[in-house]
Amino acid sequence: MSTEPDSAAEGIDWRSESSNVEMSRRDQLSELYEQKIRVPAVVAWSDDRTRLGILILSVYLFMALVDVLGLWRDPSPNQADRFLRPFENMQYPLGTTNSGVDLLALIIDSTPFILLMVLAGGVWATTLAVAVGTLSGYKGGTVDTVITTISDFFMAIPGLPLVIVLAIALSPENPILLGVVLTINYWAGLGRSIRSQVLSIREASYVEASRTMGTSTPRIIIKDVLPNIMPYVMVNFVLAARYTIFAAVGLYFIGVLPYSGQNWGVTLSNAYYQGGLFSMQALHWLLVPIIAIVGLAFGLILLSQGMDRIFNPRVRTRLTGESESVTEDTDASTTEMI
Amino acid sequence: MATDSSSSVSDHVVSRGTVEDPIFEITDTSVTYDGETRVLEDVNVSIDRHEILGIVGESGSGKSMFASALLDAIPDPGVLTGDIRYHPPDGPPVDLLGLTDEELRQFRWEEVSMVFQGAMSSFNPTMKIGAHFEETLKAHDKRVSEGLEFARELLENLYLEPERVLDSYPHELSGGMQQRALIALSMVLDPEVLVMDEPTAALDLLMQRSILTLLDRLQRKYDLTIVFITHDLPLVASLADRMAIIYAFQFAEIGPRDEIIGNAAHPYTRALLNATPNVDAPLDEMQPIEGEGPAPVSVPSGCRFEPRCPLATEECRTTDPPLAAVDRDRTTHRSACHHPATAREEIQLNFDEANDELESASPVEPSEPAVETRAEQTSETPLLSLDDVAVHFTEEQGLTERFTKDPTVVRAVDGVSLDIHEQDLVCLLGESGCGKTTLGKTLIGLQRPTDGSIEYRGQDIWEAKDGDGEIPYDEIRSALQIIHQDPGSALNPNRRIADILSESLRHTHPNIGRNERRRRMHSLLERIGMAPAEEFLDRYPHQLSGGEKQRVALARALLMNPDAILADEAISAVDVSLRIEIMDLMLELQSEFETSFLFVSHDLSNARYFAEHGDGRIAVMYLGEIVEIGSAERLIHDPRHPYTEVLRWATPDLELDSMGAGDPPLREVDVPDPIDPPSGCRFHTRCPVAREACREQHPDLRRIDDGDGRVACFREDPNHEYWDSEPVDGAVEQPEEFTGN
Repeated sequence: MSTEPDSAAEGIDWRSESSNVEMSRRDQLSELYEQKIRVPAVVAWSDDRTRLGILILSVYLFMALVDVLGLWRDPSPNQADRFLRPFENMQYPLGTTNSGVDLLALIIDSTPFILLMVLAGGVWATTLAVAVGTLSGYKGGTVDTVITTISDFFMAIPGLPLVIVLAIALSPENPILLGVVLTINYWAGLGRSIRSQVLSIREASYVEASRTMGTSTPRIIIKDVLPNIMPYVMVNFVLAARYTIFAAVGLYFIGVLPYSGQNWGVTLSNAYYQGGLFSMQALHWLLVPIIAIVGLAFGLILLSQGMDRIFNPRVRTRLTGESESVTEDTDASTTEMI
Repeated sequence: MATDSSSSVSDHVVSRGTVEDPIFEITDTSVTYDGETRVLEDVNVSIDRHEILGIVGESGSGKSMFASALLDAIPDPGVLTGDIRYHPPDGPPVDLLGLTDEELRQFRWEEVSMVFQGAMSSFNPTMKIGAHFEETLKAHDKRVSEGLEFARELLENLYLEPERVLDSYPHELSGGMQQRALIALSMVLDPEVLVMDEPTAALDLLMQRSILTLLDRLQRKYDLTIVFITHDLPLVASLADRMAIIYAFQFAEIGPRDEIIGNAAHPYTRALLNATPNVDAPLDEMQPIEGEGPAPVSVPSGCRFEPRCPLATEECRTTDPPLAAVDRDRTTHRSACHHPATAREEIQLNFDEANDELESASPVEPSEPAVETRAEQTSETPLLSLDDVAVHFTEEQGLTERFTKDPTVVRAVDGVSLDIHEQDLVCLLGESGCGKTTLGKTLIGLQRPTDGSIEYRGQDIWEAKDGDGEIPYDEIRSALQIIHQDPGSALNPNRRIADILSESLRHTHPNIGRNERRRRMHSLLERIGMAPAEEFLDRYPHQLSGGEKQRVALARALLMNPDAILADEAISAVDVSLRIEIMDLMLELQSEFETSFLFVSHDLSNARYFAEHGDGRIAVMYLGEIVEIGSAERLIHDPRHPYTEVLRWATPDLELDSMGAGDPPLREVDVPDPIDPPSGCRFHTRCPVAREACREQHPDLRRIDDGDGRVACFREDPNHEYWDSEPVDGAVEQPEEFTGN
């Protein structure tokens, strides 16, 4: 070695025996913040649709907070005049129902419940699907055959009747349990498609290189496989969450799910059976929960668009003002070169 | 020609005059994107009738654009301007840019047809090959039965069985067969001109050369004009009548083949010739070209090659040289350089001197015992030892097939024994599909052999993996590393270089802090020529070039402190100029790190460079067996196995005398199916000197009497019954007599 690297002045060459200079905790934390929080945030915020999605979801989070802190009145019958129209009386900005219940209070009151349920449904379905999909895709062989057969079985069960039967048997009033019940067999299909993605990544050279180094299987899955399927997983998380709301609202609407209080689905059902569809007077009663539901779903979908970008290293380096992707145009040249 | 009358004065007119009977005249033709990005600039070229024009250029130099321009098929939103005139054999010239869509559709394929690189993506996988021919004939209103008759003739000329090929789906054919079927398809309407854009780039060398000889024959038989576009200068040099070099969206030089190779006038051409790995050139004179070609947005204002040219003057910086005749009296050779004479003087071609040196260095050198001692006579335990290893892949079967059929077994590797010593260097050489990668992976313990054993320092690797070995498996695992072929997929796109390299350090130095880890990576990156290292550490793989990625892959392997590294075609995806640099780097690091290298390649010149510099051996593989092994020098100058001779033939060189010399020394172009390998000697179906004995008996690797290494051929044994048995069909007595059938 004719050229001594600068840092070798401090006595550490790439082959030196190890010393024990610990990295300071502060450094570690600041690097963690940089990598896991600041960079993804910058990337997410850079896209208009994602930004809008985040704003919409913040409104729902704010409503949930309002309810938890008790900043708005609880809904109860005859707390106001019947059939107040929206913005008629600013004390009840979204109007009231046929029994004089404040609609805004109704919506706010059930927001934490809905959000918890949506989160539980999404997390349950995607986590299970990712676990099952990566395991069967990466391991292959008998493990794969067994898992695939089980998920085939789950895919073959008709989802809606299963959920109805489970809902009646378990009477889930806890939002988390409800979320899980609603997406009870959602994982099977998703796991299948994640498996096929893992199958192709498993053959990539860098995975083989990691295996050659003796890296453990869980570490390969976490470091090499998962980051590359993350965009897909995140998009599917959002889709599962959306599915959970729709399923919940639908089942409340047809009256299969048990309820103690009112929520968006129940409100919708009440409004419909009290003739909200046929009289202009009760129209807002029907519209308000619909808007709440559509808004949440729309926010989730917008957010999912941005998830793809967060996990794309190209977008990441471009947006955080690092050195430009100089090789964008020379990429093709790696395959055929003179 | 009528155009000749307007000769003299301007350069491009002169140029047109140089061609007697042009089929294409291209004048002031440019391709522009977005109104300003020019990907082909002011091209003035004529293509002669019935010639083979070889066009050579780096990737991104605009050579494919030129191909598309000849068919007026520039992909949107590119704009083609200028004048392209096509002269049919009879009738008035056609102005290509003035044709209507319908006329263009007829013009393409019937007059000028095109062959692309990837045969796999040019065929529809759900249609049989025959259906592709029928569709083409119907689309151009030809009689299908007559057309198919012609197609059969073409296929036969390309050494394919017409009935079998027409009745197969694309996936049932090998890559080389698909590419040849594609050539037949492009010729089925009997076009005048064949434009070929890298038609053989995806194939291995032997198949490339075989296709080229077939093309040469087709060209003569059907009076074709061929425009052959490639990045591989020596390859096309064996075929072309005239050659053109494209650099940065313009022709840098054009002229007769012999002039371009032997007397090039443009510094770029000369540098390119010198950077080509070459079996005959003295090793220490191969030189990379510094820097890389400009992007379309940043073309230099003066001569395009000026930033990389060692001879650049002030004039080059300011004035763009026209493509002008090099010598006053010879207008066929034109070059875009202000100082052609200086270029010829200053840049010596290294293969010129090669011949003299070869003469002096007689084939078998006395230096060869050195290799012998290290490779064969060491008594200590070898680092890696293969004993009669076989790797057979069984195709997966459905439930019913399991009871009714025997499983299909692909014999990737069969009965291979090989010892690798400490700090050894072995190159595995062979065609694609010969099992060289499988053998390499078996050697480093990634592929479990179905038969035989593989030992690491006397310890069976797979026994260790199952938990009963003296050397723990983890230790073996980290001692054997790999560098992959494609630098693009060798690094996880989601991790920074620092993270990728830390992974190795986690294994070798689990307890070190982040700063120390960084310092180690830093010093290694600087060592392998990636400066400033600090910046590289924070980059993602997509921010590196192909060569840089390959260096990182090398660094990752080296940080494991391995005893052996498998380099699986590790440089074939890298720029030619970088190849030599990276090979040198690997060789230097080999001695620094005291590791062994296993180098897998299909290119004899690369293997030779590696083996000769690293004082190692080359093992030639054929259909899962090692047929010859020995020092690079002996293998190049005195090949003993007929197959080694074939590979030697397939390696293009730049010697004018031997160029275009004849057919492959092979009786069959295609490799037999490894599912059902031939009996006896596996090479007997293609061997030019096969005899009846080869059909029945299987030759073992035997020591060569008057040279180093071993070879598996009966011809080495003067007392074998081979010498008394009859030659098989098409074979000859002596290899020298073989000229092909």
